[in-house]
Amino acid sequence: MNKLLKQLLPIIGILVLIPVVMAIFSVNTIPAKEERAKAAWADVQSQYQRRADLIPNLVATVSGYAQQEKDVLVAVTQARASATQIKVDLSTLTDPAAFEKYRAAQDQLSGVLGRLLAISENYPDLKSNQNFLTLQSQLEGTENRIGVARRDFNEAVRVYNTELRTFPGVIWAATIYGSSKPMQLFEAATTAQEAPKVEFPSTAPPSDKTP
Amino acid sequence: MSMLAARWFGSLAFGFALAISLPAEAAPTFPALTGRVVDQADVIPAQVENELSARLEGLEASTSRQLVIVTIASLQGYEIEDYGYQLGRAWGIGEARKDTGILFIVAPNERRVRIEVGYGLQPVLTDALSNAILREEVLPSLRDGETAAGIVAGADALIEQLSLPADEALARARAVETASGEAKPDSLSLFIIGLVAVWIVLGLIGAITGRRTDIWFWPLFFLMRGRRGGEKDPFRGRGGSFGGGGASGRW
Repeated sequence: MNKLLKQLLPIIGILVLIPVVMAIFSVNTIPAKEERAKAAWADVQSQYQRRADLIPNLVATVSGYAQQEKDVLVAVTQARASATQIKVDLSTLTDPAAFEKYRAAQDQLSGVLGRLLAISENYPDLKSNQNFLTLQSQLEGTENRIGVARRDFNEAVRVYNTELRTFPGVIWAATIYGSSKPMQLFEAATTAQEAPKVEFPSTAPPSDKTP
Repeated sequence: MSMLAARWFGSLAFGFALAISLPAEAAPTFPALTGRVVDQADVIPAQVENELSARLEGLEASTSRQLVIVTIASLQGYEIEDYGYQLGRAWGIGEARKDTGILFIVAPNERRVRIEVGYGLQPVLTDALSNAILREEVLPSLRDGETAAGIVAGADALIEQLSLPADEALARARAVETASGEAKPDSLSLFIIGLVAVWIVLGLIGAITGRRTDIWFWPLFFLMRGRRGGEKDPFRGRGGSFGGGGASGRW
């Protein structure tokens, strides 16, 4: 019995030491992941800013050809104004209400902007205008970058939030990094969730995105 | 007894590895990066492919920018924008940190085409310019069913733009701006550090108890496992990243 205990002793020592070693090596993980999430957030904001900067030019170009679409043009201008009026800083990231307000305003702008671009399909002169084509491609590119930046941000936040709640990060979160709070994520746009879905009973298995 | 110890330790280390590996997001599967022209959809004649490869190699030799032309048999239900930046990141096209990579993606079956521009080249190859190249050089041929001709015309325009010396100063300034700080230890290197620490601890325990255990060499075995299968591809990405810049078209 005594011999068995003696043989087990190093193993128990290892079992105790491994978590301790893990915890010591992860002391910098929370600030590192927090900084990465903040950088991803800065990227999201700069892409939104780029979009906001493009809009006045677009509105001016479209209104030259499609004066009768005043409603949409006014809606875009207003949505842009309310989106840019919202003050955001790093505290927005940990405040669900403020974050949701920001997201909603930007998504609202995306919606009316999409409508404006869809309407311009009805104006052949506008569609062949070089300035409009340039603006359109810039806006499309920016929307696409916003999508990528938002996904990268979500991923960075997910990693950071997980670190706060799992071992060994949870130890540091409860002690020296008490001020580090979980951040908010961009949820899928509400319009995407509202898409009507008609389902028929089927014997075939649902197709997978990644075969 | 030492068998048991090895087993205990093995399962523990496995849990450790699980804890640090991040769950991957759902992503499409990508073709292998077999060269500067990856013709998965098989729409480029071999001779044209060789010519293009040689010119793309020349572009990298003179500008260190990596341009890869890829035809995709299936986008697997993804939008080409979604697919494109993930493909660019998976392959790591372009120089690391400078992100000077470009993908010219053609998906003939979905009738989609895209120029995917790495972060570092976005000032040189803007969204608007990418769009103009697609609209004026590429899409007319694609609409006529001349897929290979459209690809060559697009490659010509891209190589020409990327070789322009006048833009190099601007590009360099921008690349410095986007270069993101110092390298931080990633999870793999932390894992290795952890293993080495465990190794040392095991050695100490062995020395104190006066017992040599065969698990002493176990971490070394684990380290060696990751090092198999040296790729022999003459061409590979250099670690560049992508953020959705560029333009797409459909025909």
